[in-house]
Amino acid sequence: MSHFKHALQIRHVDAGSCNGCEQELTALTSQAYDWQRFGLDIVASARHADALLVTGPTSDTMARPLTHVFNAIASPKIRIAFGDCAAGCGVFENAYAVHSQRQRSDLVIRGCPPDPEQALDALRNWMQRSRDSADGEIPRPIPNDHDQGSQEAD
Amino acid sequence: MPKSWIAANLEYKKAGYELLSYLATREGRLHATWLNPVDREQKDVSTQVVDNHFPSLTRQLPEVAWDEREIHDLFGYRPEGHPDLRPLIRTPRWPHDFYPLRTRSNIPPQWLDVEPDNPAKTVTGDGITIMKVGPTHAGIIESGHFVFSLIGENVLYLDAHLFQNHRGVELLLEDRTIEDVRRIVSRICAGDSVSHQTNWALAVETLARWTAEPPLALRRIILLECERVLSHLNDLAQIPAGVGFQRAHQLALAIKEYWQQGLKRLFGHRFLFDTVRPGEAAATTPDDLGALVRELRRRWVPWRRLVEAHHGFNDRMAGVGIVKPQDVTRFGAQGVVARAAGKALDARSILPLYDDMAVQFIQESAGDVKARFYVRVAELEESLRLLEESARRLRRWGSNDSSPFIEDPSDLSGRTVTFTESPHGLNVHDITLARGRVTRYHIRAGTYRNWPLLAHTVPGNAVADFPLINKSFELCYSCVDR
Ligand code: SF4
Repeated sequence: MSHFKHALQIRHVDAGSCNGCEQELTALTSQAYDWQRFGLDIVASARHADALLVTGPTSDTMARPLTHVFNAIASPKIRIAFGDCAAGCGVFENAYAVHSQRQRSDLVIRGCPPDPEQALDALRNWMQRSRDSADGEIPRPIPNDHDQGSQEAD
Repeated sequence: MPKSWIAANLEYKKAGYELLSYLATREGRLHATWLNPVDREQKDVSTQVVDNHFPSLTRQLPEVAWDEREIHDLFGYRPEGHPDLRPLIRTPRWPHDFYPLRTRSNIPPQWLDVEPDNPAKTVTGDGITIMKVGPTHAGIIESGHFVFSLIGENVLYLDAHLFQNHRGVELLLEDRTIEDVRRIVSRICAGDSVSHQTNWALAVETLARWTAEPPLALRRIILLECERVLSHLNDLAQIPAGVGFQRAHQLALAIKEYWQQGLKRLFGHRFLFDTVRPGEAAATTPDDLGALVRELRRRWVPWRRLVEAHHGFNDRMAGVGIVKPQDVTRFGAQGVVARAAGKALDARSILPLYDDMAVQFIQESAGDVKARFYVRVAELEESLRLLEESARRLRRWGSNDSSPFIEDPSDLSGRTVTFTESPHGLNVHDITLARGRVTRYHIRAGTYRNWPLLAHTVPGNAVADFPLINKSFELCYSCVDR
């Protein structure tokens, strides 16, 4: 049995975004993209979530709340970086209150902000790979060319 | 001298000037820049910080309460006599001697190993409950932390802790060349991106003593108004969501999606990032623009009828979250929030860019959620009219291009304060360049002064009204937190 076969319930945390990524996430939930068709949704509590989806480059003030949310999600769980900022290659990368030592993400969706259609494809592909993995493992992260070093497999 | 600092600033306030910017520099200068909305003159009041102290203006001029706390947090200059000097941006994690804008270091400090929460102000007494919301939220929202003091269902006090998203953008912009600034400025805030980009372009052009000719000016008007339509559509979609009117919410999101796909087609980006730069702006054709607006109207008119005819929705908005005219003045409120409470200020009336556009300015007096909703409705329609007029002018003028921006920007020096009317209010950049590089970049976004007003407006309303009031203000976090 592989994880997240048919659904991926997501808790979103903004860790310093410009609100562009948030607006595209909202578009994904709207009737234009209607990602619920594919078992994707934003949930109100970490306790209901399979995934943490991060936007923004991680401001220092949001770093702890972000960790608290991730810790509150039951395993197995994944971390999704949504947008260039969260992927560690956004414009705010070298600001003094940004944590550039990035955390490993299981899925990195690039773009500034990501195009909703491409984001939806990326999420569906990931779920497909999850279905395909015979041994029930969470798919290994796809290497992100801008983010080597922090992407070693565990 | 200190006396004249306070007196001079109060004089401008009393004379009806708008405070554009309250700037601190690492050389210990403070500048308050005031704008006369009638003759468009800017006045600079300045003083020197002595031994890291300066006389606070907040008691006489409450609208600068946050500006002074911010200066205290980032420079370590102490506003003497400030009534509430709690940290605004700093958190307990900041080393006590870390004043980033004074030391000018982009290298992150050794953050202290504690939680980032600042002490909250609450009401104490029998039967009072404290409710904390955020900084992480149950939906798709930017991060903010709100501490409510409640009695039963009613809000007694709201302490809003913003700056959760503080990244250090102003310092990040320092030392950059003109070419280098653009991408960051474009992303200060997705809701007001064109406005921020235009402020930057205007600043460089002002310092170069270069003025955009009518065709370029028109392209910028088109981009600014396209952004206003986009932002107002977003905000108008959110207000029905605040009361569970899902149909209006979803339909407005669909209209917004149509608009964004059009912006992508015409200008290359769904939020118009990277469309304006010194001497330039993205162009479109009159046919494409005309068709985009025509189709938007076709979708918009039924939506407007739907929300206007829904009595439950209109009743729900009426009388909630009332902003009083005297508070608009006291807090220096801006944008839709101010115009819905009777203040006649739209920076487009002061901006030379719009001089021959004959913009129809919108105003309401009730100051409640409903007034803010309908000011946006009317402003959106006015923007559509301006876009149609722009398409006509584009057609008349053909494709005769402006003269190129020839000044060598690598040599520009000086300070200038530029502004535009963003979808969220008067948006100001206070920029200093030295030999083509930024030495100080201060951003005073349209919503900065509206946040304290929001916190002041909520008490007296039911706690369940907060989402609705909040969405009707629709304040940005990113360009406030920076
Ligand atoms: S990736 Fe781009 S759109 Fe997303 S938060 Fe960062 S700057 Fe904004």
